[in-house]
Amino acid sequence: MATTPNFTAEIEIPLPPSDAEVITTACDYCVVACGLKVYRWPVAGNSTGGPEADDNAFGENFPVAPLGPWVAPSQHNIVRHEGQPHHIVIIPDKDAQVVNKLGDSSIRGGLIAQKCYNPQTPTRDRLQTPLVRIQGVLQPVSWDFALDIAAEVGTHVLEHHGENAYGVKSFSYQFIENTYAITKYALRHISTANFTFHDTPSNVTSTPGFRDAGFDNFGPAYEDWMNAETLLICGTDPYETKTILFTQWIMRGIRRGQKTIMMVPRRTAGVAFVEANGGLWLDVALGTDLLVINAMARIIVENGWEDSEWIQNWVNNKWESSSGFGQGTRNTPWQWRTTWGTFQTNGFDDWKSWLLGQDEFVLENAAAVAEVDPEKIRTAAEWLARPEGGRRPKTSVMVEKGLMWSNNTGGTQAIAALGIVVGAGGRPGQVIGRAGGHQRGGVWGGHYPRNKSPMKLPGRRRRALDTDTWLLAGHTRLAHCIGTTWIQSMCGSQQLDQRFHELVLANPNQVRSFDKQEIIDTLKARTDSGGMVVFNQDIYLVDPIGARYADIIFPAATWGEDNFMRANGERRLRLYNQFYDPPGEAKPDWWIIAQLAKRMGFDGFDWQTSNDVAEEASPFSRGSRKDFHMIKVAAHREGKTLHEKLGEFGTTGIQGPVFMNADGSLTGTVRLHDTTLTLPETGPEGANVFNKKLTQFNTQTGKCNLQKSPWSLFSDYWEWQRPKGEELWATSGRVNERWQSGFDDSRRPEISRRWPENFVELHPDDAADRGIESGDMLMVYSDRVPSLRETTLGIEASDYTFTGQMEAGNVELTSAAITGVAMVTRHIKKGLIYMDFLNTGQPANALEGRVVDWVSGNYNYKIGVARVKKIGVSPYKTTFRSMSFAPRDIT
Amino acid sequence: MNAEMKPAKRQGKCRMTRRDFLLTSGTTTATVMVLVNGGTALAQEIPAVIATYPRKFITKLSDLKVDEPLDFDYPDEGFYAESMIVKLGVEAGGGIGRRRDVIAFNSWCTHQGGPLAGTYKADTKSLGMCPFHLSTFDLTRHGILISGQAYESLPQVLLELAGDDVFAVGIFGLIFGRSKNLLS
Repeated sequence: MATTPNFTAEIEIPLPPSDAEVITTACDYCVVACGLKVYRWPVAGNSTGGPEADDNAFGENFPVAPLGPWVAPSQHNIVRHEGQPHHIVIIPDKDAQVVNKLGDSSIRGGLIAQKCYNPQTPTRDRLQTPLVRIQGVLQPVSWDFALDIAAEVGTHVLEHHGENAYGVKSFSYQFIENTYAITKYALRHISTANFTFHDTPSNVTSTPGFRDAGFDNFGPAYEDWMNAETLLICGTDPYETKTILFTQWIMRGIRRGQKTIMMVPRRTAGVAFVEANGGLWLDVALGTDLLVINAMARIIVENGWEDSEWIQNWVNNKWESSSGFGQGTRNTPWQWRTTWGTFQTNGFDDWKSWLLGQDEFVLENAAAVAEVDPEKIRTAAEWLARPEGGRRPKTSVMVEKGLMWSNNTGGTQAIAALGIVVGAGGRPGQVIGRAGGHQRGGVWGGHYPRNKSPMKLPGRRRRALDTDTWLLAGHTRLAHCIGTTWIQSMCGSQQLDQRFHELVLANPNQVRSFDKQEIIDTLKARTDSGGMVVFNQDIYLVDPIGARYADIIFPAATWGEDNFMRANGERRLRLYNQFYDPPGEAKPDWWIIAQLAKRMGFDGFDWQTSNDVAEEASPFSRGSRKDFHMIKVAAHREGKTLHEKLGEFGTTGIQGPVFMNADGSLTGTVRLHDTTLTLPETGPEGANVFNKKLTQFNTQTGKCNLQKSPWSLFSDYWEWQRPKGEELWATSGRVNERWQSGFDDSRRPEISRRWPENFVELHPDDAADRGIESGDMLMVYSDRVPSLRETTLGIEASDYTFTGQMEAGNVELTSAAITGVAMVTRHIKKGLIYMDFLNTGQPANALEGRVVDWVSGNYNYKIGVARVKKIGVSPYKTTFRSMSFAPRDIT
Repeated sequence: MNAEMKPAKRQGKCRMTRRDFLLTSGTTTATVMVLVNGGTALAQEIPAVIATYPRKFITKLSDLKVDEPLDFDYPDEGFYAESMIVKLGVEAGGGIGRRRDVIAFNSWCTHQGGPLAGTYKADTKSLGMCPFHLSTFDLTRHGILISGQAYESLPQVLLELAGDDVFAVGIFGLIFGRSKNLLS
């Protein structure tokens, strides 16, 4: 029965005493970033709060009322602060008036106290010293020893193999100070095109259609999602993945009568709630969102339900498209990516005639391929756009990765166009945007050197370098990986893993010496012999990037261990205060990068504190959605630091872009593209900057581009992938109870009890066909994982399509095999399996095709196929302590 | 083993004693150990107060019908004492009775105190969704969260069977709203 140790349920918790210190921060996890309060008091003195209001820091009598400041045992921890042990209790801010109103939180943020390093808990394996692999073993060394080696090897690679041989793969979000330092190092100083972020193979947008239409991904305010009368949610269940956006905003909207439509293939709790409250579930087949979207658009224009006034005022016509000295539509990114004429239109009428000319968008045809009841599609179209009593519904559109990462270019073009014609965008309650995944913590410290990329598109334009293909082809000699698993998070990950092995471990140049210079020479020799050296910065040792492949490990300090800034999914900037000591010798990423940069002879890295970095980054945020420069201006006027000034805004923070008023106070921006907003006629005063996106869209004219979204650009890949024989569609994504790769969750006893291993959701019919029951151990496998061998080459656009690449012999078929525990459930669509996307031990992305969307350069992460067979029975089938096989759609 | 348990054992009935429950739930002694000042030089293990829970008669086992929950208060009559007992008809972790299918749980959501009374689902043997934030709990698996936001499993009320009498004898997990399970 002993399947899960560490399961004891505590029945008493220490309450913070009334004199406990209270420190504000925000959650480290999803894009919503709930405001949190840390209560801290010393262990010495043995003081603990009592159940009477006067005796605890909450000023509340226990038992507290529902929604009150209850402290679950999992919300208490012991940390070191200034070297001394302190109790901490971290609970959502019960005074919050924004984001997580009145102190709501998800299970992820709710358990964040367990994230903090405490050697008595499963966090004891935090990386605490730099490590160098000697004789095959990662061994603790000093910072100087590790950094000296790294700098020498880095310099050697730049001098002998060129900038593009130095690959940097980094998180894009783990605080503004760190991303600024990393991009300054990689792009301004190293100047490598072999650079990208954690969630893409190359430095490309996640939403090409939004960029082309003129939409900022994160323009909307959270209140807009509540105030919409009709809300179409594509490719996500926000309840599972950005919980508080659903529970505090969308659920309130639904209870006020919002008509909610969810287009996803799984009926998880948010979908079940929506349906139980009169909403619609469009159970779209994998990769067919574009067809359903355009079928809805077609119904709308056939009935004349489009928002004609909005289109008249805010959509570029033929002449506006070409306006601006060639800087109109003619020069928008889709032209950079493709040949002429694939997407652009001469305005609404042109787009409409194209739409009506495509047979695949006829309702019955689209419904048949997408396997969705046509009546539900028709109803959705009515809700989105049909006027009632002469009045249009206020409609908003939310998208996320199920849409964006199935058919990256086509899906985002289609939904952008649908959004425009139903009048979503530009007005309160009428918005279009992403729901978001991680928080927004990026500020560019340098420009991406696109001209150094050897990868190009048909026509004249270069495409950002595909770092995975580049590595597979053997061009990366030094891989510097910062805060991401890299391998498991990319597609076709087992092939990528194999290549890391060949380039790093199978190379004869392995460190066998105690001598620093000999170590340096050995690693240099590896890069010279065609092999690869790996640096890894992270908070835990990750397998395999750190545990198996890294030559040098830099231990990073993280959330709560330094002062940091970051924005959430409505551009709300907060200061994430330090409240305890980092473990051992761990240092924040900005510090690590600065030490390395200085040793490599780069200037401008003499920062002493994270505030120094933030203040340097400040002007580079100008023009961005999280422009915080005026906070620094205000701070310096008042004799404060940027961090001090932002800290004054507590958990409320301030929404970017930030402006200074005449009296010196600061004002945030509720939403971008707000056509109802009136700016002062006198224009910006002082150092304020008014960006066009405040009141218009991100195009030359400020109006939207209404564009075509041809199914044919993607349909060859979709048809090729379509399950053959015993195959099922195989997709992956998040699960509510875990965040990302589970780096913290796997160290939380309650969460690892809930999800001890990866799971394989499959429909009861598919399970019965294969003799599978819940709790069976499964092998999930495929010998049809397509993978690009080399840089895509071609002359005509057709050369770059999946078909063209197949014909050119640039696609090889690789195999993948992953185990998982069967979860036979009614909540998943028939013909589809679903796994946790970032489980590092059982990496589901190994099944997904490693073929970039040929127009955007991004992966279609959600598209893959697999065969499934039972290989035994897991311990969870017959014991009761761990996992649950109950469906996620219980209402 | 205390005197109250003996009659049940003599009758040879399948039942789960408090001691068995704790053993199978991962602890190694009959007393839950609470780590105070964990991670510090002051760390010490002290016995929790589980031994002082009242032993309260809840119902006759023979009166329970499959999928028909009964409500009761435990461990006292105070805030959040509302609990439920149900015969699931399928074996469950910590279950008592011939089929080990009788279990009891506190009825308040361990997220933010939403009321779960009346939310029992026979087809999935679950409680919820919670009306506040939609959490659901698996009653066959010690109240583990199925889907949702609760910070802990649902507190399980430990049951003992003496003849046909079902007694509540303890609680596994902290009840919502309280800083300790026993108010006095």
